[in-house]
Amino acid sequence: MDTTRTKDIYTEEFLINMGPQHPSTHGVLSLELKLDGEIIRECTPHIGYLHRSMEKIAENRTYTQFIPFTDRLDYVASMNNNLGYVMAVEKLLNLEVSERAKYIRVIVAELNRIASHLIAVGTFAQDLGAFATPLFYCFREREKIIDIFDRICGNRLTYNYIRIGGVQFDLPKGIDEKIKEFIKYMRPKVDDYDNLLTYNAIFLARSKNIGVLPKDLAINYSVTGPSLRASGVKWDLRKDEPYLVYNKFEFDIPIGENGDSWDRYKIRIEEIRQSLRIVEQAIDALPGGEPAVKVGRIHKPAPSEAYFRTENPRGELGFYIVSDGSMYPYRLKIRAPSFSNLAVLPELVKGVKIADIVCVLGSFDVLMGEIDR
Amino acid sequence: MLSILDFIWVLIIGLIVLGFIAVSAMFLIWWERKVSAHIQSRLGPMRVGWHGVLQSVADTIKLLLKENIIPAGADKLVWWLAPFFAVVPSVMAFVVIPFGKNLIVKDLNVGILYIMAVSSVCVLGIFMAGWGSNNKYSLLGGMRAAAQIISYELPLILSMIIVSMQANSLSMQKIVAAQSGHWNILHPNMMLAFIVYIISATAEVNRVPFDIPEAESELVAGFHTEYSGMKFAMFFIGEYTNLFIVSAVATTLFFGGWLGPILPPVVWFLGKTYGIVFILMWVRWTFPRLRVDQLMGFAWKVLTPVSLFNLAITGWLLLK
Amino acid sequence: MAVIKMIKHTKNFVIGAWSLIKGLAVTMKYVFRPAVTLQYPTEKQPMSERFRGLVGLHPEKCIVCYQCMKMCPTACLAITHKQEDKKKTLETFKYNMELCCFCGMCAQVCPTGAIVMTDIYEISVYDRKKLDINLLDAKKYDEWTHTSVK
Repeated sequence: MDTTRTKDIYTEEFLINMGPQHPSTHGVLSLELKLDGEIIRECTPHIGYLHRSMEKIAENRTYTQFIPFTDRLDYVASMNNNLGYVMAVEKLLNLEVSERAKYIRVIVAELNRIASHLIAVGTFAQDLGAFATPLFYCFREREKIIDIFDRICGNRLTYNYIRIGGVQFDLPKGIDEKIKEFIKYMRPKVDDYDNLLTYNAIFLARSKNIGVLPKDLAINYSVTGPSLRASGVKWDLRKDEPYLVYNKFEFDIPIGENGDSWDRYKIRIEEIRQSLRIVEQAIDALPGGEPAVKVGRIHKPAPSEAYFRTENPRGELGFYIVSDGSMYPYRLKIRAPSFSNLAVLPELVKGVKIADIVCVLGSFDVLMGEIDR
Repeated sequence: MLSILDFIWVLIIGLIVLGFIAVSAMFLIWWERKVSAHIQSRLGPMRVGWHGVLQSVADTIKLLLKENIIPAGADKLVWWLAPFFAVVPSVMAFVVIPFGKNLIVKDLNVGILYIMAVSSVCVLGIFMAGWGSNNKYSLLGGMRAAAQIISYELPLILSMIIVSMQANSLSMQKIVAAQSGHWNILHPNMMLAFIVYIISATAEVNRVPFDIPEAESELVAGFHTEYSGMKFAMFFIGEYTNLFIVSAVATTLFFGGWLGPILPPVVWFLGKTYGIVFILMWVRWTFPRLRVDQLMGFAWKVLTPVSLFNLAITGWLLLK
Repeated sequence: MAVIKMIKHTKNFVIGAWSLIKGLAVTMKYVFRPAVTLQYPTEKQPMSERFRGLVGLHPEKCIVCYQCMKMCPTACLAITHKQEDKKKTLETFKYNMELCCFCGMCAQVCPTGAIVMTDIYEISVYDRKKLDINLLDAKKYDEWTHTSVK
């Protein structure tokens, strides 16, 4: 009997560095991938390329002076960062702000949520290959929001608007017509995104059932934000631990079913719609009054600590401040949502093809400014 | 035996067509940038010339002035020849494109077969570029491109065969003449053949949603990363010339070529061709791209059975 | 059984094809709408009233209280003064543009409105030394474009 034996072919895994400069990774993130042909066996993210030692700088700046630095954490959703920090300081000082300030804060925070989700949607579509068209549409919509913010506070990206005790100045005249005009303009555009992308056959084929995040894994890794809600967990800080005046507004929390990339993307589109609802109700119900409580510029809180968490567009942003009685904080710790969201990535991409890792990373919507601080 | 007059006629038309190719490639690059800009609510090139018409000329001059970098360890002959293999077959296919009633360089009586044969040589160019670059990512990109183009050849050719079955000939002018009553697109099996043809043609020219070879820069380099200057321009021009060829063939086979009332035939032909080019560009700027395995699965599991089915139906209809 | 599968596949195919056509319709819609971009630098958008551009100074209003210098998060202002009896006059007022983060806090705390944020934002230079500005010089921003207020 003749037997034919095939010699074992020697294969080995090879290492690719999806390096810091890359057209797809959002910001300077380096992913070290161990590939077996086309399948990924292991993935190790390397972070720290954007580290600017913000937490250390905070130990040498007064509480008010640190607000421009919080702008630059999650530079796409500046208002939410300002809000989170200022509310943590106000909790430390036991300060109550006026009603008008609370409503204004809600309006700008929700508008910024819309702007941030537009970037997430646009860059996700671009990563999947819809080369520039959805991105340009999203930036065109974002331009209108930025124009509103330009009139309110004077800057287009790093707003530095929310202050301890209220907001920097009152809303200018005529801004509520502009906001109402924007809401009317934006609603049909979200339907446009649905028609162009969400139910598109190619988009579905590329993103459904890719990167499925099971519920318990999400909770174990403390994933928060739209990525958690896409896995079926009903947790949103605006409803579960309401701060400011969120308990006075009527809005829904979209929950996903599968936890795949398509669900994470779809939740963001739905959240844009819900944020438009909140802004509409807030503008109609805006009370009169002072935009800020008169407080001094230098605060010296009693030696204590405070932790406050808010719902950033990317998840739960928390600020933990320890004060020792002087005008500088003793320790400031920032709990960034993208940090935990990124930590779950190596678990999800085991066994996935190379072309899908870009899809999974894009759907988590991480921002390196937050992760590296 | 060719008479002297025939020879001179072929020479004249050939030179005109070569000039047309050069101008057309530049025009198509400008047209693509304008179409993409207007889809994205912006304006595109506006400075060089009226609305940026001379932008391609400026780009060509810039590319001519760039340094010619040869990668270390590259297979010199293969690397140097690759751009030619990408461009020359597309130019050769222009021999049988009927621009008008007598405006064809040479009406070969195996026109369609000639086009299919010549355009298949383009794969070699891509493959040679991938191999000759001495870059493992370019090689991967080149091999994927070759696999994609070869898989989509089959539905392409099957759809073209359906048309020649109906017209009873392989010659391009005879196919146009057979549509003098009504255009081929109006028959339902021809409509299906056109849809299959357009999808396969998009894959042949490496455009979105099938542009894995070029946009391989998601993770690995595309097959033409190691080319700079005029060699890169050759790949680029080759792509747009291919685009024109594919649309011109679609016009001839399905939309009646240069037939049409009142206006001169050349105007009809060019109008229809640029219309199909516009549709291909419109599709490019709307859809995301498919993954490699989904691409191949689509070709082998959907397009090929559909075109075989279509072939059977056409044969049955013709035999009736 | 096979027929049911075929019908399901055809239905999926038709739904998929229809979604693609809807996407194409959205894109085509915008071809016929006007562009939303401006041809910079020939067309520019005027900045809003509250726009935070470069820092400017009205030296006559300044009472040398040093609040702006203490408030600046990045310490980009450097002020010295001369003391004549009970009155303070400004001697130097240096502004380091490289450190400025355009937060507007100096303008917010100034009690007299002496320090303001102008509307200059096109501030690229070829020489780094030009970024160290003496705010008391009235001609400091002459070579840069001033956009008009909306």
